[in-house]
Amino acid sequence: MSKEYAQDYSLQELLVAASAKEIMDGDVVFAGVGVPTLGAMVAKLTHAPNVIMAMESGSIGPQPYRVILGIGDNACVENSICTTSLWRLFSDQQRGYFDVGMIGGAQVDKYGNLNSTVIFGEGDYYTPASRLPGSGGANDIASSAGRTILTLPLQKRRFLEKVDYITSPGYIDGYDAREKHGLPGGGPAAIITNKCVFRFDPTTKEAYLYSVHPGVTVEEVKAEVSWELKIADDVKVTEPPTLEEVRITRILDAGQIYTGSGLKGLTFEKYVQMLETSQEILHQLF
Amino acid sequence: MININPNDKKKPDKRMTLTDAIKTYVPDGSMISFSGMGGAQCVAPTYEIIRQGIKKLTFVGDSPCESGDMLIGAGAIKKAEIAWCSYAVAGLGYNYRRAIEQKIPHEIELVEYSNYTIGLRFLAGAINVPYIPTKSLMGSDLLKYNEKIKVEEDPYNGEKVALIPAVNPDIAIVHVSRADKRGNAQMFGFSSNAENLARAAKHTIVTCEEIVSTEEIQRHPNLTIIPEYAVDAVVEVPFASHPWNFPYAYAYDMPFHTEQLAAFKTREGFEKWLEDYCFAPGSWEGYLEKVGYGRLEKLRQLERRFTKAKY
Repeated sequence: MSKEYAQDYSLQELLVAASAKEIMDGDVVFAGVGVPTLGAMVAKLTHAPNVIMAMESGSIGPQPYRVILGIGDNACVENSICTTSLWRLFSDQQRGYFDVGMIGGAQVDKYGNLNSTVIFGEGDYYTPASRLPGSGGANDIASSAGRTILTLPLQKRRFLEKVDYITSPGYIDGYDAREKHGLPGGGPAAIITNKCVFRFDPTTKEAYLYSVHPGVTVEEVKAEVSWELKIADDVKVTEPPTLEEVRITRILDAGQIYTGSGLKGLTFEKYVQMLETSQEILHQLF
Repeated sequence: MININPNDKKKPDKRMTLTDAIKTYVPDGSMISFSGMGGAQCVAPTYEIIRQGIKKLTFVGDSPCESGDMLIGAGAIKKAEIAWCSYAVAGLGYNYRRAIEQKIPHEIELVEYSNYTIGLRFLAGAINVPYIPTKSLMGSDLLKYNEKIKVEEDPYNGEKVALIPAVNPDIAIVHVSRADKRGNAQMFGFSSNAENLARAAKHTIVTCEEIVSTEEIQRHPNLTIIPEYAVDAVVEVPFASHPWNFPYAYAYDMPFHTEQLAAFKTREGFEKWLEDYCFAPGSWEGYLEKVGYGRLEKLRQLERRFTKAKY
């Protein structure tokens, strides 16, 4: 089947599609809220109908006819195959049932270690320049998911030689460090950013530039990375979203909550209408 | 302070008002835990605790939203043992940030875990063992800043595991779909860790969207997540999670939440919010009236279009 690529799409829509493409049919996906959840939903409604989404609150396998607005949103319960408890769901992950986990953070290093806890600045853990929300379930996903997909914006202050605090371990200091530390999961498979995609060397476990998004140069990427970045011999151009992926994204996120600035000025009436419309259209399609 | 009766769990009728339940079971200095996870949050009890001016709480929870951030902002929390504190899509945990970054309204002691390991603490507490081993946290800095977690070799195979200490809070507050007056609590949808919180805690307040008869509970015993012997008080509190969603009951009020969190961005905005939505209305019923029953009914209707519990 030949793919028809979209000509007209936004950066956010490209990121949703890139997240979706990381998911294989049949995967059990641990998805956090935002672009990753939207990506997982798009994957399910396009190339991966047998995807099972696992939501942190304890909902497994939802098939909602609306956008998921939180990890414990009612959309996570809608048409799900199982609703259980948080510890039960995480135990299933530790047991090895979850193929892929999607996590974000404020800082990442060349071994894919993520920080979503605290930015030291001039201070330290106890007196930080900036306090972030913390691990939540991210550490557990990083520890035990079969593989992880990291998403964060490409900026020099975020792509560091060493993060201030390792919330979610990637490959720690490279090579077989995960095995040494007793981590059961496989570690990061990719970092998806607004400009490019990184993957990891199978031996050293160091991140390298795998593809640049359409219109982005290798030099632009290098300028936003704090370490001496390794580049693939044949750097690819990130596959653009297909027409179908863009269409589904726009139906699911018609209110542009994840793919635009839809939260601003979202009235109650517009919000209710957004959910009702998505249900109507998705029911016609699926 | 009213003395807590150790026989409360044996009472055949545990119904109370929210005000009396909090007054009875949440003295200053308690160690407290709430159910809910990214939705189904215990918002009504949070407002009541703030109204009663309860202080010096030790908070144990995975990823609290209102119960963590607002209680910290109100100066009710002395120590937090948590994995995360924020509100996800609609906004950030501004009160939590202000407490850590600027000690506003005062300094709090913080001990960090992950969601799973907080869940294991409640599970260990619920099954009455001192700790549970896990493969989470290994190789991370959570170990570095949390001296309670020990990494040991498993005595059977020699593998490294992290030992997560049990917790038995003084009081657990869990919000469920329905319960009878004896405290048998049923949940439609995910239960976060509610069943373990209730069993681990010394005392448990069950709040529910609806009180039903024991016969109704007996018709679907597989829905019961907490049996009466683990419960001290039962309180009927409709819309107790607003603006959050509650499974099969009402949809998320995202526009309201966005407005609330925009207010929380500044300390003044948060204080004004407390005045307008917590103190001035005087009760959860007052809060709901201020939000508007027309709006709440619309959220109920909206949810019914997507999910219906068939019972």
